[in-house]
This record gives sequence, C-alpha cells and structure tokens, in this order.
Amino acid sequence: MSYFDYLKHNRARVTLFVMSLSVILITLGIIQTLLFETITFLSEIADARGWFTFDWDFSGIFSGAGAASGVFMLAYLVEKATTKYVSTKETPFDSILFPKQFVIYLAFIGIVIQLLFINSLLLGISFLFAFITWRRLAAAINKQRYGMKVSESTLWQNITLGLFLVALAKSITMNYGGALGEFFLTTQWTPTGACSDRRALCENMSFGVNSLLLTTLQVAFGALIIAVPLGVGCAIYLSEYAPPRLVAIVKPTLELLAGIPSVVYGFFAFIYIGPLVVELGEYFYANGWIDQPPNVLNPINGAIVVGIMILPLIASMSEDALRAVPNELREGSLALGATKIETTFKVMIQASLSGIIASIILALSRAVGETMAVTLAVGTVAVFTSNMFLPAQTMTAYIAQRVGGDLPFGEIGYLTIFAVGLYLFIITLTLNLIGNRVLAAYREAY
Amino acid sequence: MKDIDLLQKKNRKLRDFAETMGSSGLAFTGLIGLFFLSILVWQIAAPTFIDGENGEIPPANEFITESDYELEWDYPNIDSSGELTTDPIVLEISWDDGDEVHELQINVISQRDVYEDIYLNESGLSTEIVEVGRKTKFHIYSTLPQSVEVKQKSGPVPSADETGKPLVSTFVIEYDVAVLYDEGIVFEPLEILGYGTLIFLVVTFRFPKPSMLRFIQKFTGKERQLKGLFYALALVTIIAGNYSLASILAALCWILSATMSTSLTKGIERLLHSGRELSETSRLKHSISNRDGLLMWSNMLLVISTLFIPLEIYIPFLTERYQDIFSPYSSGIRAAFYGTIWVMLIAMISAIPISVGAAIYLEEYANPTKTTKLIQALVTNLAGVPSIVFGMFGLAIFVKQGGIGWGLGPSILAAGLTMGVMAMPIIVLASQEALRSVPRSIRESAYGVGCTQWQVTKDHVLPSAMPGIMTGSILAMSRIMGEAAPLVVVGATAMIVFDPEPLAGLVGGNVNFTVIPIQIYFWTSEPDPAWHSMAAAASISLIALLVAMNSIAIVLRQHFRRRLN
Repeated sequence: MSYFDYLKHNRARVTLFVMSLSVILITLGIIQTLLFETITFLSEIADARGWFTFDWDFSGIFSGAGAASGVFMLAYLVEKATTKYVSTKETPFDSILFPKQFVIYLAFIGIVIQLLFINSLLLGISFLFAFITWRRLAAAINKQRYGMKVSESTLWQNITLGLFLVALAKSITMNYGGALGEFFLTTQWTPTGACSDRRALCENMSFGVNSLLLTTLQVAFGALIIAVPLGVGCAIYLSEYAPPRLVAIVKPTLELLAGIPSVVYGFFAFIYIGPLVVELGEYFYANGWIDQPPNVLNPINGAIVVGIMILPLIASMSEDALRAVPNELREGSLALGATKIETTFKVMIQASLSGIIASIILALSRAVGETMAVTLAVGTVAVFTSNMFLPAQTMTAYIAQRVGGDLPFGEIGYLTIFAVGLYLFIITLTLNLIGNRVLAAYREAY
Repeated sequence: MKDIDLLQKKNRKLRDFAETMGSSGLAFTGLIGLFFLSILVWQIAAPTFIDGENGEIPPANEFITESDYELEWDYPNIDSSGELTTDPIVLEISWDDGDEVHELQINVISQRDVYEDIYLNESGLSTEIVEVGRKTKFHIYSTLPQSVEVKQKSGPVPSADETGKPLVSTFVIEYDVAVLYDEGIVFEPLEILGYGTLIFLVVTFRFPKPSMLRFIQKFTGKERQLKGLFYALALVTIIAGNYSLASILAALCWILSATMSTSLTKGIERLLHSGRELSETSRLKHSISNRDGLLMWSNMLLVISTLFIPLEIYIPFLTERYQDIFSPYSSGIRAAFYGTIWVMLIAMISAIPISVGAAIYLEEYANPTKTTKLIQALVTNLAGVPSIVFGMFGLAIFVKQGGIGWGLGPSILAAGLTMGVMAMPIIVLASQEALRSVPRSIRESAYGVGCTQWQVTKDHVLPSAMPGIMTGSILAMSRIMGEAAPLVVVGATAMIVFDPEPLAGLVGGNVNFTVIPIQIYFWTSEPDPAWHSMAAAASISLIALLVAMNSIAIVLRQHFRRRLN
C-alpha cells in the first residue's frame, strides 16, 4: 500500500497523529529557543574571557570545599567497605550505628537546616551524604546479621566518587575563569554594568548564577520544611482518621487553596508575612545572630508563602498514595495488635512511601519554578549570602524582573534570561522525570 | 490484672483522642488560614469596593450618579459670633441649560471636620445654607440624569477641585460631568420580571409542587399565546433596556422561559393524559421532554447573569479603566478584565481542539511504539515545566521578529497563543483520564455492530468522555487565568487607559494589553499603600471569576453525569 493510500484510508488516525506531534514540536521549540540563546550568551562571555581558564593552588584543600571532598571520600570508602567486611557480632560501634530513632530524625533535620544557612553548599551536601552513608551502613549490617546478602550499589558509589572529584576540583582551582567556569562556579551576579555600549559585555559585569541558585534552593527547601509535615500530616488525617463528612469539606478547600493564583499569594506575602518575618529578624539582630538589619523582602518570606502554595499538592497526592494502599495491610497490622498510630506510621507510610516521596519531588519542582509569589516576596537584589533576612533574588524572579524593563532583542541582558531559563528548565525537568518515574513505579506496585 | 486492663484502655482512649485532635488540628490549620486570609484581604479591599477614598464614591444602592463635587475652603469666612468676615460664599448650581438655577450659601467655620453633604434632585437642593469646617471636604451629589453646572458667584476660592488636587486661582469653577447612567436605576422592572419568571420555572422544574402546577395548568391550550407574549416581552426588554448587556441577558431569560413554560404545560397535559394526578410530582420529570437540557441552559444563563450584575451596579472599580498614577481609587480593572477574556478565548481556541485530538490519538489509536511513549512522557513532563519557561518560549517564538519569531509583538494574540501552549499538556492529561474512564464495553459493543474505529470514537467514546474533557478544559483555563509569569515575559504592561484590541498583533494598531494578575502584580509593586488596596480588590475579583468558572464546570459535569446515568 502506498503512502497515499494509507493516508486515504486512515484520515482520522493521521490527522490525530499530527495533532499529537505538536507536543514534540513544542518541546523542541522550548529546548531550541533556550539552547540557542544560551549558546550565544556563553560565546559572548567566552569572547571576553575565553572558555576555560583555571588557576591551580593546593592551599584550597583547607577550605570548605576541601573539607567536603574529605567527607565525600570517607563516604565512598565506607560504601566500598560495606560489602567487603561482614560483622555479625556486636561491636562497640553499635551504639553509633543504631541509636534511638529520634536521634536519627534530629540529625536529619539538623542537616537539612544547616543546608539553608551554610556558606559552602558543597560542605552541606557532603554532610547529607555522610548521613545517608551512615544509615545505609546500619541497614547493611542489620541485613547481614539477619543472614541476608548485601549487594554492592555501584550507582551510589559512583555518585559519591563523582562528588568527591567535583569538591576536590573546586578546592584546588581557586580562581575560576572562562565562560562556563564563571557561569556555573562563581557567585557574583551583576549582569548590568555602567558602560557606554549597552549591548556590549562590560568588564565589571559578572555572571555567577550560583547567587540566584542559592536563593532558589533556600526558598524551595524552606518551603518543603513547612509544607511536608503539614501536608503529609493532613494527608494522614484525611485518609486514616477523618470522618467522611469532614473529608468532603477539607478536600474542596485544598482544591480551592491550590486554585488561588500565585500572584495573590505573592500579594499576601508582601503585605502580611513580610512584616511578621521582619519582627523575627529584629529579634535575631538584637541578639547579634545576624549582622545586618532585616528587610521586608527576604527568602524566609518566600519560603513560607511557597510552602503554603505547595501544601495542597503534597496533601492531595500523599492522600491518594495512602488511599491506594490495600486495606489488607492495615487490617493485618491492626490484627497483630498494633495501635492505630503504629499502623499509620510503621505500615501505611512505609507502604506508600514512594508515592509520598514522588509528591515531595514534584512539589519541589513546583517550588523551584514558582515565579510571581517569589518575585513579590523575596526581592530583586542578587546576593550570595546565608543571611536569609536580606532581600535576594531567585532564578525565576530574575527572569521576571529583567524582562519587565523592555529588553532589546539580542542584548546581553536578553541573553542572560535564556541562560538562567535553560538552567531552571533542566533542574525542573530532572526533578519531574525522577518524580514521575517514582510515581509510575509506585503505581505498578499496587 | 483487671486494673491494668482498665488503665490501658483508659490510656488508649486518651491517646486516640489526642491523635484525633492533633491531626484534625493540622487539617484545620489550612481552613482557618484560608478564612483569615479572606478576612484580611477583604479588609484591605473594602475601601476600594465600598467607600473609595474618604468615602467620596456613593454607595451603589442609592442609585446616585457619579457627578459628585468635592469642595474645600481654607479659611473661615465667619467669626465665632457668626458674623461674616468676607463676602458670603455662594455657589450657583444650574441645570437644564439654565432653566433651573439654585443658590447655595456656604459658611466656613474655624473648626475642622464639620460638614454636611448636599443632594440634588428635580425639586432642587436638599438645603440652601450649609456650614462647613475649615479644610474639610464636602460633596454635592446629584441624582439628576443630566450634567450640572456649578459656578462660584462670590467669596474666596476653594483650595481643591473635585479630584482633590490644589486648584489654581480661578474664580468661576465650571464642571461638566458626563453622566454614565441615564436610567437612574440598575435593573428595569421588566428585566427583574424576566429573571423572576425563569427562576420560578427552574424551581418548578426541579421541585414541583402541586399548587404551582395547578397555576401553570391554567395555561394549557394557550401555549402559543404565552409563547408569543414572552417573545414580545423579550423584544420590549431589549428595546427598553437600550440594548445593554443586562437587557440582552434578560431577553434570553424570557425566551428560555417561553420554551420552558411550553414544555411544562405539555408535560402536565401528558401526565394527566396517562391517568395520573397532579400530586404525583415525581412522575412529572419523565413526562417533560428535554428537561435536563433546559435546566442546564437556564442554570448557565443564571450563573452568567450573576457574573454581570457587578458590572451593572455602579462600582467604579469594575467599570473604570486605569486613570493615572496619582488617582488609585478612581482607577479600575475594566481593561484588565477585557484583556483576560480575550487572552482566555484565544488560548481556548488554539489549545482545546489540538489537545483533545492528541489525547484521542494517544488513548484510542496509538500503538505502544517509541514515538507514542516519547509523546506521552513529554506531555507528562511538560505539565510540570515552570510557567515562566513557557513565557520565554512565547517571547522567542511569538513576540520577537526575526529567526523563528513570528513577530506578533507584545500583543493579546501572542499572549493567548503562549497561554494555549501552556494549557495544552494539562488538557491532554485531563482528556486522557476522561477517555480512559469510558468503559470497555461501550467500545466493544459499538465494534460489535460494525462501526469503524473513527465512528466508535466519534459517536460513542467522545460523548461519554465529554464531561471529563469539558471539566478538564475549564479547570485548565481557570488555572492559566491566574498565571501572570508568562505574560510578564511576553510583555503585558499595567498602565492601559483603553480597551485592548485582540487582533492588533496581526492587523496593526495598539498592541498593549493587560490582564488581571498582571494588574495585581504591578499594583502590589507600587509604593503607595492605596495601590495595595486596589491589588486586594483585584485579587477578590480574580478569585470570584475563578470560582464562577469552576462552578460552571461543576454544573456541566453534573448535567452530563445525570444524563449518562
């Protein structure tokens, strides 16, 4: 059958197929646009500064990144050693490996909180990896003692090793140079400079996107700290405890909260939450915990309001996950004599954990991509600081603020928004891919 | 042993109680937060909706036209004993081209904040002599349907004009205020009667009572006359209402009432014909033809009319455009409202057909090939891409000229297409969900009687999936209605003093436009707190619009679900 005949006999199919191809076209359009302008942007910087230049200096080993590389190396070695040495007997280390449960929770919360305040982000992440390695080691030893086999996780080892290499490279190359080095590794973001030609790249311009990235992460993780306990708590209540009539009230309310436009939330943050955070900041300032007086616009403000915004998402998705768990599991646990709260926390949450984690990942992606509320709440000054009471700027807020002022086509400012946009797109796309993968895996399980 | 059991039971009860209380507390935090949010936002927005600045906007229920004059004198012209110290201040107020002339004497006293408002109507002024405090504004309200001229005959010059700005030294103040409302009242009696008839018929349809039916039974055999009367009333309503929006909606009410009353009388006739009594009201719904369709249309008409009532009642915030940066309270969201409607329309037209087609392909036609899987994965992941990235896509493709740019400029067309692209993945996902929920048996029985695949899809699957698709589309539209980020990137501006032109990007003209979320964003960014209260009022309007859209979605879903069952 020729193509012509095929078209003639399958008109509906072909038309519909072409319609669905538009999705691919849109995606390609987005990627092409972002990529094209970003490459132009990077080559413009490269014209002035070259693509790569690095200064080597081993004294940087003693900086934060150097310490981080040490911690990563340690984590890697422990990970390697896990499967090699079997310790079936109790050792003095057991008290470290298996402490009380609340100690583990406290350690985890402490690590997440230090991520928000630490100056060297790499060191903070290395602490997180140390924590994960600690728990993995404990789990492996526990498995071995019950006679199970422990298999080697090459993926995890490779991630740790890779991060070790990154940290080492960062610590010994003190002066980053070149277009890519400047964009991805420095922390000074001053894309506007006073020079005669607006289109040209001036000497006093600097494009270290980390300053925007840090604020974005502060806001997103701060939002998770607020939204995860509340959202998961709400989901647990709705699926396990609440009477049906109450569910009928609370679920539409959650949908209503999710339907309120982000700019309205931004207004709310600007008018109400900001002044409240400033009062807290004044207290901090009076005690000398922060070195500059607080401002109405700050990342904490943004974190609170974004937390409120992603709460309905986490609550409804986690509730779906909890409801999808077969009733036999719950009944079995109750029949074994567990209390209701034990059933909830040790059976239901364990069983629906991947669904809850997927909801958290997707909410994180939403929080990273949130624009209007963050623009109104966090401010428009790109700074790299751990003081969360000062105005800062997220990636999305930079795009919204910069584009508001009538950008000429092809100017360096016009190109920067696409570079930042591509970075943002990659981050959110990765998070979405992971989240949807986890979600699909969990849907298969039940 | 027994004691321990008892103790454990007691503890357990206590613990259960604590658990329930704790987690319900968590759930209620959200509810209470929402409640406080709404109260606080209303507190800021209230002056914009109700009072205006210093209360110069009259309450809408008094039906006062907006020709209010605000006057303010600096120095007293009488001393403490009541003697005049300067020439008497006399205003000459005239209308009907000087046929009616009235004089108003003003005594300015040294105290502040003493005033009395003056009302004008056909019979004249409410008072001839008024006592006003120094530096205190007082207002002259007019209920007249024509413009009023105010001149100062004698006395010192007041220090402010009607917008509150200082007035330079002129002796004669002439105001010529255009009157927006000739009617003087909001709804014509005929319009109210039309709505009333429709509501009565809807209630009779839904909860029939024998007494109501007996009343309607009287019209049996006179359906044609009744129909003719209703159509005539519709015509009269439109002409009397001067072709305004409210009158057109009311005329639609009359026309719908005609159809409904006819089908109701016929239904009653049929009921009695089959040997039933009027008291058997539950039988009635089977004897009325097209009952659900009529109910749906009338419900939708009533919902839409409720939406437009605020535009009829004089709330300047909803009917005025942006004025200038110094006069927040006399600005409004009219241009933004029209912008929102146009952007939504263009987004709908561009997104819904393609997305529904894609959903049908993915659910009904596609084999699980690599291409299909790729499209499916892209749809799922595009739905999570930040909205601002779509805005940048729109900026590079639709707005800018050159390269792959279409060069539409920062226009409504570009904004609508960007929003359409953003809504696409959401609509595709919702439609797929709806198509998936159509039972397999429907498809198989259709194939069984020899339908082709396209016939099965078109005639059997799509109608069953329609409620889901419609609800999904409306929810997607209401989601993008609140989005401001892509439009900031596309280039919406805030200071629009005209109604936007939807096709300006293609045919030329002024491309500038704004939408309500953008208006909120820019007003919040202003330093003057008066603009913040405008932003709060705009937020309330936006949320009201969203709630209205969602309720239309619910009405549609209910209607189709009932029909399917």
